[in-house]
Amino acid sequence: MTKQKPNLNHLLQDRVLSLSLTIALLAVVLALVYPQQFATWDNFSQVMLNLSIDTIVAVGMMVLMIGGMFDLSVGSVVAFSGGMAGYLMYYHQVPVPLAIAIGMGGAILIGLTNGWLITRIGINPMIQTLAMMGIVRGFALMLSGAGLQNFPWEFIVVGQSKLLGLQMPVWYMLFIVVGMSFLVQRTTFFRRYYFIGGNERAARLSGIQVERMKIWAFVISAFLAGIAGILLSSRLGAALSTSGRGLELRVITAVILGGASLSGGQGKIMGAFLGALFMAIINNALIIARVSGYWQEVILGVILVLAVAIDQLLLRRVHRK
Amino acid sequence: MLELKNISKAYPGVQALSRVSLHIQAGEIHAICGENGAGKSTLMNIIAGNIAPDEGELIWEGNPIQPASFHAAAALGIAIVYQERSLVDELSVAENIYVGKPPLTPWGLIDVKRLTQQTRLLLQGLGLDTIDPQSLVGSLSPAQKQMVEIAKALAANPRLLILDEPTSSIGEKESRVLFQMLQQLKQAGTAIIYISHRMAEIFQIADRITVLKDGVGQGTFDAAELNPARLIQLMVGRTLQETHFASYAQPDVYLQIHQLSGSGFQDISLHLHKGEIFALAGLVGAGRTELALALFGDTPIVSGTVQLNGREIRFRHPEEAIAQGIAYVPEDRKSAGVFPERSITENVQATLLSRSFWLDASASAAATHFCEKLNIKTPSIQQKAGLLSGGNQQKVVLAKWLATQPGLLIIDEPTHGVDVGAKAEIYQILKDLTQQGLSILLISSELPEVLLLADRIGVLRQGRLVKILDKSEASESLILSLASGTYAPKSDYND
Repeated sequence: MTKQKPNLNHLLQDRVLSLSLTIALLAVVLALVYPQQFATWDNFSQVMLNLSIDTIVAVGMMVLMIGGMFDLSVGSVVAFSGGMAGYLMYYHQVPVPLAIAIGMGGAILIGLTNGWLITRIGINPMIQTLAMMGIVRGFALMLSGAGLQNFPWEFIVVGQSKLLGLQMPVWYMLFIVVGMSFLVQRTTFFRRYYFIGGNERAARLSGIQVERMKIWAFVISAFLAGIAGILLSSRLGAALSTSGRGLELRVITAVILGGASLSGGQGKIMGAFLGALFMAIINNALIIARVSGYWQEVILGVILVLAVAIDQLLLRRVHRK
Repeated sequence: MLELKNISKAYPGVQALSRVSLHIQAGEIHAICGENGAGKSTLMNIIAGNIAPDEGELIWEGNPIQPASFHAAAALGIAIVYQERSLVDELSVAENIYVGKPPLTPWGLIDVKRLTQQTRLLLQGLGLDTIDPQSLVGSLSPAQKQMVEIAKALAANPRLLILDEPTSSIGEKESRVLFQMLQQLKQAGTAIIYISHRMAEIFQIADRITVLKDGVGQGTFDAAELNPARLIQLMVGRTLQETHFASYAQPDVYLQIHQLSGSGFQDISLHLHKGEIFALAGLVGAGRTELALALFGDTPIVSGTVQLNGREIRFRHPEEAIAQGIAYVPEDRKSAGVFPERSITENVQATLLSRSFWLDASASAAATHFCEKLNIKTPSIQQKAGLLSGGNQQKVVLAKWLATQPGLLIIDEPTHGVDVGAKAEIYQILKDLTQQGLSILLISSELPEVLLLADRIGVLRQGRLVKILDKSEASESLILSLASGTYAPKSDYND
């Protein structure tokens, strides 16, 4: 048995590798063009802070997409968990840890409901999570109204303190990415999602409890979105009902850029982080270059189409052999 | 009317058709006979324009044609009724029948009135006065659906009508109407190609019979020249396999099934010894796979009992069956067996996931072991399984199950789409496994395979176990006649 030699084809097919190189290249170019604005510690920590919320949600989305599913309600869950915790602290003076726990509990309940209805009742995931997106957004509006502020110091400190020059949300994000990456690589529990996404029928016949695993995936995704919501409102010092609007599509974009496929079975947790990082750097570059905000959306859309198109062309080449 | 000259078609690993020639005349009913996998369906799909042949030509009324598309074939007047349904359950009978070209009003809209009328007329011709043209297809019985399927083909006034197993899901009465209809069409000059496993039908209506075996034409005969026995011999007709396997069956019973019923099978009782290979034979749809899936916990058992090693068991999920030492190699490797995007190691891992929390090296050790033992030809155990040949993929699926060290292996069509060399290897592997005490429940539509491997053979027909044969008394023609219902001893005659 011989080891296959790495070549350009392999490089292009390993999304984590190719995306890392693209990001490195992009960073070098930007550092050369905008040494004063891009290559500074302040800019770096700002970019990292901006992408931390997206990345935490993207990790959960990656787990789902490896298993061949996705969840449109995550953006609303971000607003909901922050709003729930904020509402309890603001109106009822609930202690901070309990408020956070209840906010997270609500998020988990949403994930459980999604997973249960999709697997046991057989509702299409797209429809179920689309409906849940609206329902949860409505609850978030009820809870936080025009926005809640003046949270206790213990809540603010969660998202606004710094460690080694980086904001805490960045550290939480890195912890979640590294931890989940390790778990997905090494535990049989998370490995099952690759089998479910790769061939659901074969997975069931191989003794994998497909439905139960799917429910877990929705719970994990909602749990991570819940954490993101708490962090976001802590960082902003406010719970806003509009938090996380459009987040679901941004996160799905990042995850697909990071190597996931809508049909499932593909992707790595690190890819979710790299996809979000890539998008954050592009955004950052466009702001530094003073390109109109309207163009950002256009450019990200074009990049997404390009990435998937390259994938398809590569796939065709492999099949022709 | 239609002439096929030296048609060949190969799929990866299988030569589906090799230099088949066929001559269809106007106003005849031409039966095509052959075992499963003989190439009948491929040939029909070539005529209907669904598949392009690799070699050979099609001549339609003296002109060579290339009906590379279904529409081109339809324009010539070729209509096909598939074994599988092509109806949409959510649409009405009339809409389904005239899906291609519904009658239009001068405004170019669908003329619902005429659509209904035409449909009613057509259905009356088929003796289907009871079906309302407006009712949804989803509300019909399987037999009615089959008849609507035939009506759909007839609506185009075809000059050549292909029927693939049209009577497999309809009853005695509908069959009689269908045959009358076919006779009328024949008088009117329509050519009919008729595929069926039922000997009695073939001799009842066919004028001529062409026999296919392993993708090779065995000749065309007048129906009067042949009799059922001779026809079966032509279809089966290979020289007996040189190899003979010993039986490794031990006296103790490993699996005992008592009056088991479930979706697709009723009242099945049988037992399986340690180290024995018990084959389930029967036509497609006889309930063999359904029985296997129920034993494996994939579908529920309605009534009856199953004992494994003397203990009564009942599974709600395959996971529980696997834990008790049952393995199931499914019929459709692509959709249910292999994980094409994952490596060989990971494929083997699939059944071992519930054994530990952390991923360990045991799967890769098992993959290496079985790659060697099963002679899986691959550059590396990290190779994606989807890139292997059919035979090697099947061995990977087998490896996945052997890694669980099962006591009972249920194996469904183990050599479908597997080339001859790998076939022989798989046979040897299965026999070696029984020598080590593994019991095997073999489901196969390839009778030579059944006769070669099995110690005993249970023949299923329409969900019931017709008879259990000992290896010594079984023959291909006996199994075929039991499975198709032409053999009917008084004791269990139930038609």
